[in-house]
Amino acid sequence: MEYEVVIGLEVHVELATNSKIFCSCSAKYGAEQNEHVCPACCGMPGMLPIVNKKVVDLGMTAGMMLNCHINRTTTFDKKNYYYPDLPGAYQTTQLFAPICVNGRVDIETSKGKKSVRIKQIHMEEDAGKLVHDDWRDLTMVDYNRTSVPLVEIVSQPDLSSAEEVVAYLERLRSLLRFAKVSDCRWEQGSMRCDVNLSVREKGSDKLGVRTEMKNMNSLAAITRAIEYETARHIDAIVNKTEELVQETRRWDDEKGKSFAMRTKETAGDYRYFPDPNVMPVVIDDVWYDRIKATLPEFPEIKKQRYMEELGLGDFDASSLVESRAFCDVFEEAYAECGLAKDVANWILKDCANLLNKKQMTADMLAIDGRALGKLIKLVADEKVGRANAKFILAEIFEGATDPEKIAEEKGFIVSNDTGLIEKVVAEIVAADPKSVADYKGGKEKAFMALFGKCMRELRGNCNPQVLRELLLKEIEKA
Amino acid sequence: MQDLLDTLEKVNQLALTQDEKASVQAYFERVAQDLPSFAEVDTQNVTPMVYVMPLSNVLREDESSQPFTRDDLQKGAPEAEDGYWEVPRLIE
Repeated sequence: MEYEVVIGLEVHVELATNSKIFCSCSAKYGAEQNEHVCPACCGMPGMLPIVNKKVVDLGMTAGMMLNCHINRTTTFDKKNYYYPDLPGAYQTTQLFAPICVNGRVDIETSKGKKSVRIKQIHMEEDAGKLVHDDWRDLTMVDYNRTSVPLVEIVSQPDLSSAEEVVAYLERLRSLLRFAKVSDCRWEQGSMRCDVNLSVREKGSDKLGVRTEMKNMNSLAAITRAIEYETARHIDAIVNKTEELVQETRRWDDEKGKSFAMRTKETAGDYRYFPDPNVMPVVIDDVWYDRIKATLPEFPEIKKQRYMEELGLGDFDASSLVESRAFCDVFEEAYAECGLAKDVANWILKDCANLLNKKQMTADMLAIDGRALGKLIKLVADEKVGRANAKFILAEIFEGATDPEKIAEEKGFIVSNDTGLIEKVVAEIVAADPKSVADYKGGKEKAFMALFGKCMRELRGNCNPQVLRELLLKEIEKA
Repeated sequence: MQDLLDTLEKVNQLALTQDEKASVQAYFERVAQDLPSFAEVDTQNVTPMVYVMPLSNVLREDESSQPFTRDDLQKGAPEAEDGYWEVPRLIE
Protein backbone atom coordinates (compact mmCIF):
# COMPACT_ATOMS: atom_id res chain seq x y z
CA MET A 1 0.00 0.00 0.00
CA GLU A 2 1.29 3.46 -0.87
CA TYR A 3 0.63 6.47 1.33
CA GLU A 4 0.61 10.17 0.70
CA VAL A 5 0.93 13.10 3.05
CA VAL A 6 -1.55 15.99 2.96
CA ILE A 7 -0.36 19.33 4.38
CA GLY A 8 -2.04 22.66 4.95
CA LEU A 9 -0.24 25.65 6.44
CA GLU A 10 -1.19 28.56 8.62
CA VAL A 11 1.46 31.23 8.24
CA HIS A 12 1.64 34.17 10.62
CA VAL A 13 3.33 37.28 9.33
CA GLU A 14 3.94 40.41 11.41
CA LEU A 15 3.00 43.51 9.43
CA ALA A 16 5.45 46.33 8.72
CA THR A 17 3.74 49.07 10.71
CA ASN A 18 5.07 51.65 13.14
CA SER A 19 2.35 51.07 15.71
CA LYS A 20 0.24 48.21 17.03
CA ILE A 21 -3.06 47.10 15.52
CA PHE A 22 -5.45 48.58 18.12
CA CYS A 23 -3.35 51.17 19.99
CA SER A 24 -0.56 53.63 19.28
CA CYS A 25 2.21 51.68 21.05
CA SER A 26 5.30 51.06 18.96
CA ALA A 27 5.35 47.75 17.08
CA LYS A 28 9.16 47.74 16.81
CA TYR A 29 11.01 44.56 17.66
CA GLY A 30 13.75 44.42 20.27
CA ALA A 31 12.78 46.91 23.02
CA GLU A 32 13.32 46.31 26.73
CA GLN A 33 10.52 44.26 28.33
CA ASN A 34 7.22 46.10 28.57
CA GLU A 35 8.53 49.35 27.09
CA HIS A 36 5.87 49.29 24.36
CA VAL A 37 2.72 48.95 26.40
CA CYS A 38 -0.37 51.01 27.27
CA PRO A 39 -3.67 50.33 29.03
CA ALA A 40 -5.21 49.05 25.76
CA CYS A 41 -2.67 46.36 24.93
CA CYS A 42 -2.34 45.46 28.62
CA GLY A 43 -6.00 44.51 28.67
CA MET A 44 -7.05 47.10 31.23
CA PRO A 45 -10.85 47.29 31.56
CA GLY A 46 -12.72 49.92 29.59
CA MET A 47 -10.15 50.49 26.86
CA LEU A 48 -11.39 50.93 23.30
CA PRO A 49 -9.42 49.34 20.51
CA ILE A 50 -9.08 51.52 17.39
CA VAL A 51 -7.94 49.86 14.17
CA ASN A 52 -4.69 51.00 12.57
CA LYS A 53 -5.53 51.92 8.96
CA LYS A 54 -2.13 50.74 7.70
CA VAL A 55 -2.95 47.23 8.93
CA VAL A 56 -5.95 47.14 6.60
CA ASP A 57 -3.79 48.54 3.77
CA LEU A 58 -1.22 45.80 4.27
CA GLY A 59 -3.87 43.09 4.71
CA MET A 60 -5.34 44.10 1.36
CA THR A 61 -1.89 44.25 -0.22
CA ALA A 62 -1.12 40.72 1.00
CA GLY A 63 -4.41 39.50 -0.45
CA MET A 64 -3.82 41.14 -3.81
CA MET A 65 -0.30 39.69 -4.03
CA LEU A 66 -1.78 36.23 -3.37
CA ASN A 67 -4.63 36.59 -5.88
CA CYS A 68 -7.34 36.76 -3.23
CA HIS A 69 -10.82 38.17 -3.28
CA ILE A 70 -10.95 41.17 -0.92
CA ASN A 71 -14.03 41.29 1.31
CA ARG A 72 -15.29 44.86 1.05
CA THR A 73 -16.82 44.65 4.52
CA THR A 74 -14.54 43.02 7.03
CA THR A 75 -15.13 42.57 10.76
CA PHE A 76 -13.25 41.53 13.89
CA ASP A 77 -14.13 38.78 16.36
CA LYS A 78 -13.09 37.73 19.83
CA LYS A 79 -11.39 34.36 20.27
CA ASN A 80 -11.54 33.49 23.93
CA TYR A 81 -8.78 31.72 25.74
CA TYR A 82 -7.21 31.98 29.16
CA TYR A 83 -3.49 32.38 29.01
CA PRO A 84 -1.47 35.34 30.28
CA ASP A 85 0.17 36.05 26.91
CA LEU A 86 -3.03 37.97 26.07
CA PRO A 87 -4.16 39.89 29.12
CA GLY A 88 -7.77 40.42 28.00
CA ALA A 89 -8.28 36.63 27.96
CA TYR A 90 -9.19 36.83 24.28
CA GLN A 91 -7.49 37.53 21.00
CA THR A 92 -9.08 39.98 18.60
CA THR A 93 -9.00 38.27 15.23
CA GLN A 94 -11.25 37.66 12.22
CA LEU A 95 -13.43 34.59 11.80
CA PHE A 96 -16.74 35.54 10.19
CA ALA A 97 -15.63 38.08 7.58
CA PRO A 98 -11.84 37.95 7.10
CA ILE A 99 -10.26 40.57 4.87
CA CYS A 100 -9.25 38.16 2.08
CA VAL A 101 -10.55 34.81 0.81
CA ASN A 102 -9.98 32.37 -2.07
CA GLY A 103 -6.46 33.13 -3.26
CA ARG A 104 -3.74 31.24 -5.05
CA VAL A 105 0.03 30.93 -4.87
CA ASP A 106 1.92 29.29 -7.75
CA ILE A 107 4.98 27.26 -6.87
CA GLU A 108 7.57 25.22 -8.73
CA THR A 109 9.40 22.15 -7.42
CA SER A 110 11.39 19.28 -8.93
CA LYS A 111 8.01 17.69 -9.71
CA GLY A 112 6.82 20.68 -11.73
CA LYS A 113 4.41 23.57 -11.28
CA LYS A 114 1.50 23.64 -8.87
CA SER A 115 -1.09 26.08 -7.57
CA VAL A 116 -1.69 26.18 -3.83
CA ARG A 117 -5.10 27.55 -2.91
CA ILE A 118 -5.37 30.15 -0.15
CA LYS A 119 -8.47 29.70 1.96
CA GLN A 120 -8.30 33.06 3.69
CA ILE A 121 -6.12 35.79 5.12
CA HIS A 122 -7.21 37.39 8.35
CA MET A 123 -5.88 40.28 10.42
CA GLU A 124 -5.26 39.77 14.13
CA GLU A 125 -3.17 40.79 17.10
CA ASP A 126 -0.06 38.92 18.19
CA ALA A 127 0.26 37.60 21.75
CA GLY A 128 2.84 38.61 24.35
CA LYS A 129 5.95 36.72 25.36
CA LEU A 130 6.20 34.47 28.40
CA VAL A 131 9.49 33.67 30.05
CA HIS A 132 9.32 30.70 32.41
CA ASP A 133 11.63 31.09 35.38
CA ASP A 134 12.49 27.61 36.64
CA TRP A 135 14.52 28.91 39.54
CA ARG A 136 11.76 31.01 41.08
CA ASP A 137 9.00 28.75 39.71
CA LEU A 138 7.00 31.53 38.09
CA THR A 139 6.29 33.02 34.69
CA MET A 140 7.42 36.50 33.62
CA VAL A 141 5.24 38.34 31.12
CA ASP A 142 6.36 40.81 28.45
CA TYR A 143 3.52 42.56 26.58
CA ASN A 144 5.65 44.35 23.96
CA ARG A 145 4.51 41.93 21.26
CA THR A 146 0.89 41.94 22.43
CA SER A 147 -1.28 43.56 19.74
CA VAL A 148 1.52 43.77 17.19
CA PRO A 149 -0.41 43.37 13.93
CA LEU A 150 -0.35 40.05 12.09
CA VAL A 151 -1.94 38.51 9.10
CA GLU A 152 -2.57 34.79 9.21
CA ILE A 153 -2.48 33.19 5.78
CA VAL A 154 -4.40 29.91 5.72
CA SER A 155 -3.80 27.55 2.82
CA GLN A 156 -6.00 24.68 1.70
CA PRO A 157 -4.49 21.22 2.31
CA ASP A 158 -2.90 21.27 -1.15
CA LEU A 159 0.71 20.53 -0.25
CA SER A 160 2.09 17.02 -0.44
CA SER A 161 5.78 17.12 0.48
CA ALA A 162 8.33 19.04 2.52
CA GLU A 163 9.81 20.30 -0.75
CA GLU A 164 6.47 21.81 -1.76
CA VAL A 165 6.06 23.39 1.67
CA VAL A 166 9.48 25.02 1.41
CA ALA A 167 8.75 26.27 -2.14
CA TYR A 168 5.41 27.68 -0.96
CA LEU A 169 6.93 29.44 2.06
CA GLU A 170 9.78 30.89 0.03
CA ARG A 171 7.34 32.17 -2.58
CA LEU A 172 5.11 33.66 0.10
CA ARG A 173 8.08 35.34 1.75
CA SER A 174 9.35 36.76 -1.51
CA LEU A 175 5.93 38.18 -2.48
CA LEU A 176 5.23 39.71 0.93
CA ARG A 177 8.69 41.24 1.24
CA PHE A 178 8.43 42.63 -2.26
CA ALA A 179 5.13 44.28 -1.46
CA LYS A 180 6.61 45.57 1.84
CA VAL A 181 3.87 43.82 3.80
CA SER A 182 6.42 42.40 6.25
CA ASP A 183 10.14 41.88 6.64
CA CYS A 184 9.31 38.15 7.11
CA ARG A 185 12.29 37.41 9.37
CA TRP A 186 12.09 33.85 10.62
CA GLU A 187 14.78 34.47 13.23
CA GLN A 188 12.84 37.37 14.79
CA GLY A 189 9.54 35.56 14.65
CA SER A 190 8.01 37.99 12.16
CA MET A 191 7.21 34.95 10.02
CA ARG A 192 6.17 31.65 11.58
CA CYS A 193 4.16 28.71 10.54
CA ASP A 194 1.75 26.09 11.85
CA VAL A 195 1.91 22.82 9.92
CA ASN A 196 -1.29 20.72 9.67
CA LEU A 197 -0.49 17.25 8.46
CA SER A 198 -2.28 13.97 7.81
CA VAL A 199 -1.53 10.79 5.91
CA ARG A 200 -3.89 8.76 3.72
CA GLU A 201 -3.81 5.95 1.20
CA LYS A 202 -2.54 7.26 -2.10
CA GLY A 203 -5.43 8.32 -4.33
CA SER A 204 -8.01 8.32 -1.53
CA ASP A 205 -10.20 11.39 -1.22
CA LYS A 206 -10.70 10.92 2.50
CA LEU A 207 -8.35 12.80 4.83
CA GLY A 208 -6.57 10.97 7.66
CA VAL A 209 -6.24 12.03 11.29
CA ARG A 210 -4.70 15.51 11.40
CA THR A 211 -2.02 16.76 13.75
CA GLU A 212 -0.78 20.32 14.01
CA MET A 213 2.70 21.57 14.83
CA LYS A 214 2.69 25.16 15.98
CA ASN A 215 5.10 28.10 15.74
CA MET A 216 7.71 26.62 13.44
CA ASN A 217 10.31 29.22 12.58
CA SER A 218 12.87 27.84 10.17
CA LEU A 219 12.65 26.07 6.84
CA ALA A 220 15.14 23.42 7.96
CA ALA A 221 13.13 22.64 11.11
CA ILE A 222 9.88 22.56 9.13
CA THR A 223 11.40 20.08 6.68
CA ARG A 224 12.64 17.82 9.48
CA ALA A 225 9.33 18.05 11.34
CA ILE A 226 7.31 17.11 8.24
CA GLU A 227 9.55 14.14 7.54
CA TYR A 228 9.31 12.95 11.15
CA GLU A 229 5.53 13.39 11.40
CA THR A 230 4.91 11.67 8.06
CA ALA A 231 6.95 8.66 9.17
CA ARG A 232 5.19 8.62 12.55
CA HIS A 233 1.74 8.66 10.92
CA ILE A 234 2.60 5.92 8.43
CA ASP A 235 4.12 3.81 11.19
CA ALA A 236 0.97 4.24 13.28
CA ILE A 237 -1.26 3.25 10.35
CA VAL A 238 0.80 0.35 9.01
CA ASN A 239 2.36 -1.09 12.16
CA LYS A 240 -0.29 0.04 14.64
CA THR A 241 2.47 1.48 16.84
CA GLU A 242 0.09 4.03 18.35
CA GLU A 243 -3.39 5.41 17.91
CA LEU A 244 -3.35 8.69 16.01
CA VAL A 245 -5.45 11.43 17.59
CA GLN A 246 -6.26 14.90 16.41
CA GLU A 247 -3.96 17.06 18.50
CA THR A 248 -1.50 19.91 18.66
CA ARG A 249 2.11 18.79 18.86
CA ARG A 250 5.31 20.61 19.70
CA TRP A 251 8.33 20.03 17.47
CA ASP A 252 11.62 19.72 19.37
CA ASP A 253 14.25 20.34 16.73
CA GLU A 254 17.15 19.36 18.98
CA LYS A 255 15.67 15.97 19.83
CA GLY A 256 14.28 15.61 16.29
CA LYS A 257 10.89 14.56 17.69
CA SER A 258 7.38 15.90 18.11
CA PHE A 259 5.52 15.77 21.42
CA ALA A 260 1.79 15.98 22.21
CA MET A 261 0.75 19.37 23.62
CA ARG A 262 -2.99 19.45 24.00
CA THR A 263 -5.63 17.02 22.93
CA LYS A 264 -8.91 17.30 21.13
CA GLU A 265 -10.84 17.47 24.39
CA THR A 266 -10.42 21.21 24.80
CA ALA A 267 -9.13 22.15 21.38
CA GLY A 268 -11.00 24.66 19.30
CA ASP A 269 -13.42 25.69 22.01
CA TYR A 270 -12.71 29.36 21.60
CA ARG A 271 -16.30 30.62 21.73
CA TYR A 272 -15.75 33.10 18.93
CA PHE A 273 -18.12 36.04 18.79
CA PRO A 274 -18.12 39.38 16.97
CA ASP A 275 -16.20 42.07 18.85
CA PRO A 276 -18.74 44.83 19.42
CA ASN A 277 -15.97 47.30 20.27
CA VAL A 278 -14.28 47.18 16.88
CA MET A 279 -16.44 48.72 14.19
CA PRO A 280 -16.64 47.05 10.77
CA VAL A 281 -14.18 48.18 8.13
CA VAL A 282 -15.76 49.02 4.80
CA ILE A 283 -13.42 49.21 1.83
CA ASP A 284 -14.75 51.45 -0.94
CA ASP A 285 -13.51 51.55 -4.54
CA VAL A 286 -11.25 54.54 -3.92
CA TRP A 287 -9.43 52.74 -1.11
CA TYR A 288 -9.28 49.48 -3.05
CA ASP A 289 -7.89 51.18 -6.16
CA ARG A 290 -5.34 53.14 -4.15
CA ILE A 291 -3.88 49.91 -2.77
CA LYS A 292 -4.07 48.17 -6.15
CA ALA A 293 -2.00 51.00 -7.64
CA THR A 294 0.80 50.48 -5.11
CA LEU A 295 1.37 46.80 -5.94
CA PRO A 296 4.88 46.07 -7.18
CA GLU A 297 5.81 44.16 -10.29
CA PHE A 298 6.16 40.46 -9.31
CA PRO A 299 9.79 39.45 -8.70
CA GLU A 300 9.97 36.90 -11.52
CA ILE A 301 8.53 39.39 -14.02
CA LYS A 302 11.05 41.97 -12.88
CA LYS A 303 13.86 39.44 -13.23
CA GLN A 304 12.82 38.58 -16.76
CA ARG A 305 12.63 42.25 -17.68
CA TYR A 306 16.09 42.91 -16.23
CA MET A 307 17.48 40.07 -18.36
CA GLU A 308 15.60 40.69 -21.59
CA GLU A 309 15.39 44.47 -21.69
CA LEU A 310 18.44 45.53 -19.71
CA GLY A 311 20.76 42.68 -20.66
CA LEU A 312 21.63 41.51 -17.13
CA GLY A 313 22.78 37.94 -16.59
CA ASP A 314 20.73 35.39 -14.65
CA PHE A 315 22.89 35.70 -11.53
CA ASP A 316 22.74 39.51 -11.30
CA ALA A 317 19.01 39.64 -12.06
CA SER A 318 18.20 36.88 -9.52
CA SER A 319 20.34 38.52 -6.85
CA LEU A 320 18.69 41.91 -7.35
CA VAL A 321 15.13 40.58 -7.12
CA GLU A 322 15.94 38.94 -3.78
CA SER A 323 15.35 42.38 -2.28
CA ARG A 324 12.80 45.03 -3.12
CA ALA A 325 15.19 47.71 -1.81
CA PHE A 326 17.90 46.54 -4.22
CA CYS A 327 15.41 46.71 -7.12
CA ASP A 328 14.22 50.20 -6.16
CA VAL A 329 17.78 51.57 -5.97
CA PHE A 330 18.75 49.69 -9.14
CA GLU A 331 15.89 51.16 -11.14
CA GLU A 332 16.50 54.71 -9.95
CA ALA A 333 20.23 54.48 -10.64
CA TYR A 334 19.66 52.89 -14.04
CA ALA A 335 17.24 55.65 -15.01
CA GLU A 336 19.98 58.16 -14.19
CA CYS A 337 22.98 56.55 -15.93
CA GLY A 338 21.62 53.87 -18.29
CA LEU A 339 24.40 51.42 -17.33
CA ALA A 340 22.55 48.34 -16.08
CA LYS A 341 25.51 46.01 -15.61
CA ASP A 342 27.56 48.67 -13.80
CA VAL A 343 24.65 49.51 -11.49
CA ALA A 344 24.12 45.82 -10.70
CA ASN A 345 27.82 45.48 -9.83
CA TRP A 346 27.85 48.53 -7.59
CA ILE A 347 24.76 47.33 -5.71
CA LEU A 348 25.65 43.66 -5.42
CA LYS A 349 29.30 44.23 -4.53
CA ASP A 350 29.98 47.70 -3.10
CA CYS A 351 26.60 48.43 -1.53
CA ALA A 352 26.34 44.86 -0.23
CA ASN A 353 29.80 45.24 1.35
CA LEU A 354 28.83 48.46 3.07
CA LEU A 355 25.58 46.90 4.33
CA ASN A 356 27.56 43.97 5.66
CA LYS A 357 29.96 46.24 7.53
CA LYS A 358 27.01 48.01 9.12
CA GLN A 359 25.38 44.64 9.92
CA MET A 360 22.36 45.60 7.84
CA THR A 361 20.31 43.37 5.54
CA ALA A 362 19.63 43.90 1.85
CA ASP A 363 16.15 45.20 2.60
CA MET A 364 17.67 48.03 4.64
CA LEU A 365 19.42 49.61 1.64
CA ALA A 366 17.96 53.11 1.68
CA ILE A 367 20.20 55.29 -0.47
CA ASP A 368 19.32 57.81 -3.16
CA GLY A 369 19.38 55.68 -6.34
CA ARG A 370 19.79 58.77 -8.52
CA ALA A 371 22.93 59.71 -6.61
CA LEU A 372 24.33 56.23 -7.19
CA GLY A 373 23.49 56.57 -10.90
CA LYS A 374 25.30 59.91 -11.08
CA LEU A 375 28.34 58.42 -9.35
CA ILE A 376 28.43 55.48 -11.76
CA LYS A 377 28.26 57.92 -14.66
CA LEU A 378 31.19 59.90 -13.24
CA VAL A 379 33.23 56.69 -13.09
CA ALA A 380 32.16 55.60 -16.57
CA ASP A 381 33.08 59.02 -17.97
CA GLU A 382 36.46 58.68 -16.24
CA LYS A 383 35.84 61.83 -14.23
CA VAL A 384 36.32 60.01 -10.91
CA GLY A 385 38.58 57.02 -10.26
CA ARG A 386 36.95 53.83 -9.02
CA ALA A 387 38.81 53.81 -5.70
CA ASN A 388 37.74 57.38 -4.92
CA ALA A 389 34.20 56.59 -6.05
CA LYS A 390 33.97 54.11 -3.18
CA PHE A 391 34.59 56.94 -0.71
CA ILE A 392 31.81 58.90 -2.36
CA LEU A 393 29.50 55.87 -2.13
CA ALA A 394 30.12 55.78 1.62
CA GLU A 395 28.87 59.39 1.76
CA ILE A 396 25.83 58.51 -0.31
CA PHE A 397 25.11 55.86 2.34
CA GLU A 398 25.07 58.67 4.87
CA GLY A 399 22.47 60.54 2.85
CA ALA A 400 24.53 62.55 0.33
CA THR A 401 22.79 63.18 -2.99
CA ASP A 402 25.30 65.03 -5.17
CA PRO A 403 28.40 62.91 -5.91
CA GLU A 404 29.92 65.45 -8.29
CA LYS A 405 29.93 68.10 -5.59
CA ILE A 406 31.60 65.68 -3.15
CA ALA A 407 34.18 64.79 -5.82
CA GLU A 408 34.99 68.47 -6.34
CA GLU A 409 35.18 69.23 -2.62
CA LYS A 410 37.47 66.28 -1.95
CA GLY A 411 39.60 66.86 -5.02
CA PHE A 412 38.52 63.59 -6.59
CA ILE A 413 37.98 64.93 -10.11
CA VAL A 414 40.32 63.14 -12.50
CA SER A 415 42.82 65.50 -14.01
CA ASN A 416 43.08 65.66 -17.78
CA ASP A 417 46.16 67.79 -17.27
CA THR A 418 48.86 65.54 -18.78
CA GLY A 419 51.43 68.17 -17.81
CA LEU A 420 50.70 67.49 -14.13
CA ILE A 421 50.84 63.73 -14.63
CA GLU A 422 54.15 64.03 -16.51
CA LYS A 423 55.59 66.16 -13.73
CA VAL A 424 54.60 63.63 -11.02
CA VAL A 425 55.85 60.69 -13.10
CA ALA A 426 59.20 62.40 -13.67
CA GLU A 427 59.61 63.08 -9.94
CA ILE A 428 58.72 59.53 -8.86
CA VAL A 429 60.97 57.91 -11.47
CA ALA A 430 63.88 60.20 -10.54
CA ALA A 431 63.41 59.47 -6.82
CA ASP A 432 63.34 55.66 -7.17
CA PRO A 433 66.14 54.49 -9.48
CA LYS A 434 66.11 51.05 -7.81
CA SER A 435 62.56 50.23 -8.90
CA VAL A 436 63.34 51.54 -12.38
CA ALA A 437 66.39 49.30 -12.60
CA ASP A 438 64.42 46.32 -11.21
CA TYR A 439 61.72 46.79 -13.82
CA LYS A 440 64.25 47.07 -16.59
CA GLY A 441 65.83 43.92 -15.20
CA GLY A 442 62.51 42.08 -15.75
CA LYS A 443 60.64 42.55 -12.44
CA GLU A 444 57.00 43.32 -13.40
CA LYS A 445 56.18 44.07 -9.78
CA ALA A 446 58.53 47.03 -9.70
CA PHE A 447 56.38 48.73 -12.34
CA MET A 448 53.30 48.33 -10.19
CA ALA A 449 55.14 49.87 -7.26
CA LEU A 450 56.00 52.93 -9.31
CA PHE A 451 52.49 53.08 -10.74
CA GLY A 452 51.02 52.94 -7.24
CA LYS A 453 53.27 55.76 -6.02
CA CYS A 454 52.23 57.98 -8.92
CA MET A 455 48.54 57.18 -8.37
CA ARG A 456 48.85 58.03 -4.67
CA GLU A 457 50.64 61.27 -5.47
CA LEU A 458 47.84 62.15 -7.89
CA ARG A 459 45.28 61.06 -5.25
CA GLY A 460 43.75 58.64 -7.70
CA ASN A 461 42.61 61.43 -9.94
CA CYS A 462 43.98 60.36 -13.28
CA ASN A 463 43.09 58.03 -16.04
CA PRO A 464 45.01 54.79 -15.32
CA GLN A 465 45.63 54.17 -19.03
CA VAL A 466 47.18 57.63 -19.54
CA LEU A 467 49.31 57.23 -16.40
CA ARG A 468 50.54 53.83 -17.58
CA GLU A 469 51.64 55.17 -20.95
CA LEU A 470 53.41 58.22 -19.54
CA LEU A 471 55.16 56.14 -16.87
CA LEU A 472 56.45 53.62 -19.41
CA LYS A 473 57.76 56.48 -21.54
CA GLU A 474 59.55 58.06 -18.56
CA ILE A 475 61.14 54.75 -17.49
CA GLU A 476 62.44 54.22 -21.02
CA LYS A 477 64.11 57.65 -20.87
CA ALA A 478 65.65 57.01 -17.45
CA MET B 1 -27.34 20.66 31.08
CA GLN B 2 -24.71 19.02 33.28
CA ASP B 3 -22.43 18.58 30.25
CA LEU B 4 -22.83 22.20 29.29
CA LEU B 5 -21.96 23.33 32.80
CA ASP B 6 -18.90 21.09 32.89
CA THR B 7 -17.67 22.49 29.58
CA LEU B 8 -18.24 26.09 30.62
CA GLU B 9 -16.45 25.48 33.89
CA LYS B 10 -13.50 24.06 32.05
CA VAL B 11 -13.12 26.66 29.30
CA ASN B 12 -13.55 29.49 31.78
CA GLN B 13 -10.93 27.96 34.07
CA LEU B 14 -13.32 27.92 37.01
CA ALA B 15 -13.55 25.52 39.91
CA LEU B 16 -17.09 25.70 41.29
CA THR B 17 -18.16 24.18 44.60
CA GLN B 18 -21.15 21.80 44.66
CA ASP B 19 -23.36 24.59 46.04
CA GLU B 20 -22.25 27.02 43.35
CA LYS B 21 -22.85 24.40 40.70
CA ALA B 22 -26.36 23.81 41.97
CA SER B 23 -27.18 27.50 41.96
CA VAL B 24 -25.72 28.08 38.47
CA GLN B 25 -27.61 25.07 37.20
CA ALA B 26 -30.88 26.34 38.65
CA TYR B 27 -30.29 29.70 37.00
CA PHE B 28 -29.47 28.13 33.65
CA GLU B 29 -32.58 25.98 33.82
CA ARG B 30 -34.71 29.02 34.43
CA VAL B 31 -33.16 30.72 31.38
CA ALA B 32 -33.68 27.57 29.34
CA GLN B 33 -37.36 27.60 30.20
CA ASP B 34 -37.72 31.09 28.73
CA LEU B 35 -35.75 30.34 25.60
CA PRO B 36 -38.60 28.76 23.56
CA SER B 37 -40.46 32.07 23.66
CA PHE B 38 -37.61 33.62 21.62
CA ALA B 39 -38.04 30.95 18.98
CA GLU B 40 -41.55 32.20 18.34
CA VAL B 41 -40.24 35.48 16.96
CA ASP B 42 -39.80 35.53 13.20
CA THR B 43 -36.13 36.43 12.62
CA GLN B 44 -35.95 35.19 9.02
CA ASN B 45 -34.87 38.51 7.52
CA VAL B 46 -33.23 40.09 10.53
CA THR B 47 -29.48 40.59 10.53
CA PRO B 48 -28.02 39.89 13.96
CA MET B 49 -27.14 43.14 15.69
CA VAL B 50 -23.53 43.26 16.76
CA TYR B 51 -22.83 46.97 16.88
CA VAL B 52 -24.87 49.38 18.94
CA MET B 53 -23.79 52.42 16.93
CA PRO B 54 -24.24 52.56 13.14
CA LEU B 55 -20.54 53.25 12.62
CA SER B 56 -17.86 51.89 10.33
CA ASN B 57 -14.22 52.71 9.56
CA VAL B 58 -13.28 54.01 12.97
CA LEU B 59 -9.61 54.05 12.12
CA ARG B 60 -6.39 55.71 13.18
CA GLU B 61 -3.24 56.61 11.25
CA ASP B 62 -0.16 54.46 11.81
CA GLU B 63 1.61 56.77 14.23
CA SER B 64 3.27 55.51 17.36
CA SER B 65 3.45 57.19 20.74
CA GLN B 66 4.14 55.97 24.25
CA PRO B 67 2.11 58.12 26.66
CA PHE B 68 2.29 55.63 29.56
CA THR B 69 5.41 54.39 31.28
CA ARG B 70 5.93 50.82 32.28
CA ASP B 71 6.03 51.84 35.93
CA ASP B 72 2.63 53.56 35.66
CA LEU B 73 1.10 50.41 34.28
CA GLN B 74 2.68 48.08 36.78
CA LYS B 75 1.58 50.11 39.80
CA GLY B 76 -1.52 47.98 40.25
CA ALA B 77 0.17 44.68 39.48
CA PRO B 78 0.06 42.10 42.29
CA GLU B 79 3.56 40.96 41.28
CA ALA B 80 6.04 42.77 39.05
CA GLU B 81 9.80 42.75 39.00
CA ASP B 82 12.53 43.88 36.66
CA GLY B 83 9.94 45.30 34.26
CA TYR B 84 8.03 42.04 33.95
CA TRP B 85 4.59 41.18 35.23
CA GLU B 86 4.88 37.97 37.18
CA VAL B 87 2.24 35.26 37.21
CA PRO B 88 2.04 31.74 38.60
CA ARG B 89 4.10 29.36 36.54
CA LEU B 90 2.31 28.10 33.45
CA ILE B 91 3.45 25.43 31.09
CA GLU B 92 1.14 24.50 28.28
